[in-house]
Amino acid sequence: MEITLGTFLALGAILFGIGAIGFLVRRNVLIQLMSIELMLNAVNVVLVAVNRYHPDNHAGQIFAFFVIAVAAAEAAVGLAIVIGLFRLKKSVSAADANLMKH
Amino acid sequence: MNAWIAISPLLLLVGGGLLVMLVDAFTKERNDLATVTAATLFLSAGVSLFALLSGKDPVDVPEVFGAFLATDRLGLFFDVAIGLGGGLSALLAGGYLREHGLERGEFYVLVIFSAFGAMVLARATDMLTLFVGLETMSLGVYALAGFRRGSPRSIEGALKYFLLGSFAAAILLFGSALIYAATTHTDFAGIGATVAAGDADIKLLLMGLLLVLVGLAFKVSAVPFHMWTPDVYEGAPTPATTFMSVVVKAAAFAVFVRVVITAFGDDLSASSAGGWPPILAGLAVVTMVYGNLAAVGQTSIKRMLAYSSIAHAGYLLVGMAAASVVGEKAISAVLFYLMAYTVSNVLAFGSLILMGSRGREAVSFDDLAGVGRRHPLAALPMVIGVLTLMGFPPTAGFFGKYYVFSAAVEAGGGFVWLAILGVLASAIGAFYYLRVIVAMFMKDPVPGEPVAVPMRSGSVTAALVISGLLVMDMGLMPGSMLDLAIAAAEQLFAG
Repeated sequence: MEITLGTFLALGAILFGIGAIGFLVRRNVLIQLMSIELMLNAVNVVLVAVNRYHPDNHAGQIFAFFVIAVAAAEAAVGLAIVIGLFRLKKSVSAADANLMKH
Repeated sequence: MNAWIAISPLLLLVGGGLLVMLVDAFTKERNDLATVTAATLFLSAGVSLFALLSGKDPVDVPEVFGAFLATDRLGLFFDVAIGLGGGLSALLAGGYLREHGLERGEFYVLVIFSAFGAMVLARATDMLTLFVGLETMSLGVYALAGFRRGSPRSIEGALKYFLLGSFAAAILLFGSALIYAATTHTDFAGIGATVAAGDADIKLLLMGLLLVLVGLAFKVSAVPFHMWTPDVYEGAPTPATTFMSVVVKAAAFAVFVRVVITAFGDDLSASSAGGWPPILAGLAVVTMVYGNLAAVGQTSIKRMLAYSSIAHAGYLLVGMAAASVVGEKAISAVLFYLMAYTVSNVLAFGSLILMGSRGREAVSFDDLAGVGRRHPLAALPMVIGVLTLMGFPPTAGFFGKYYVFSAAVEAGGGFVWLAILGVLASAIGAFYYLRVIVAMFMKDPVPGEPVAVPMRSGSVTAALVISGLLVMDMGLMPGSMLDLAIAAAEQLFAG
């Protein structure tokens, strides 16, 4: 099989889909956080792969670095909120955050 | 040197944020922090307003910022909206946090740095700046939403906001990666040029556009991406809710304008048959209808205002959709609306803050029963606040709606129906907004229940006076603000 840009895009889409499904299906907040990380890494795959096939500038690779850095900051805030939840509810399940209904 | 001047509103915020952190470490007097924070944000808004009013073209420094950050009138206009909204929220926090025993300096630091992120977002002209600005703003706001650590509602709101917010950011990011794959550009101007030249992969591009629109619709809380809004608005401390509803919304709409006009302003993406106009029109319809209908049944005023903010996102989307036909007119109407919405919403939420004292917050209609007769002066800002959100003349809200709907009528075709639907939806809005006035002046408090006592706080009063005056000023003399909005929109379309 020949590896083309389309292969990388497909890989990115599959990873992104797995992450999105994981986020929607699982109720454990930590797993949902991991799913978001997976989605962000799918983005990185696409960005870096596109840059590899269009190397006239390095926008994609630089973008991937920013995504990695911001994802770390996001995880820090997210985990702080999870700790806040655990202190009050002794649970890390999103299903226990149910005081307010739509 | 020019570069420093061009981004001076942002630099002021960075300096102010660091100063607040220092002051927080060395002082016990938290009231000073509210003043310093508000002064920083107002100064930043004032500098931008001065630059706008001077009429000179903003300094353009492409050799420093490249295609990443705009230094145009639109950016300055949103600096004013964000600085004003953020500063007023900080003043409200000054009274609220003390009254409810939440005084911690982090609140003000988070407000300033989130406002900084919002300004970066409003000036973003590249997917990269968009992402970094969006996250800088959002991470601070997630923390603000969960600021009342001991309250399960506050934490629950923060959790929902964080999870759905990061999910939406990931979707937006995947969309921009697909756009990059389709055009090999991440800057809005480059994307627009590639698409106009016909060099883009249309399938990938449209999929990317769709995902980016989903991410942005989430941030402006358009139906069906609004699920988080009522819970987060209800759970967060009220000054944080105020900040979210004015600053986050203004910045998200700012970048929304830049994306659809600069990156997707070409004939194909902006055609009424395909591309973004029909998507935005559809979002506008469901958002207006759902937001207004859901607000009717609420017993909590805070939650009612959350649905009202969803409804307002719907009216704004009418203007955005109309921008595909009558570009400048519709965009200037959207800008005016956002400024009017900023001061109106601060007034409404601020009045709600004013009604609670000593650890007891007023949140429901019952809490406000009879307040108008016992404390008529304290009820006055709430009356003006709901009237302007309703769009009653002569307030800022009236002209906001008037300009947006008249732009839609001028666009013709299906947009006329959007405007008609918007007017009908606002009529539903009158029902639940007037209920607040009815509760305050015509209902008696439930016997035995504690009655609301307005708080005494100089900074809350100051915020209400400033926003009330601006609401009346923009309602009686809308011309000067509209001129600024028109000038900003003209420059966006020219450049």
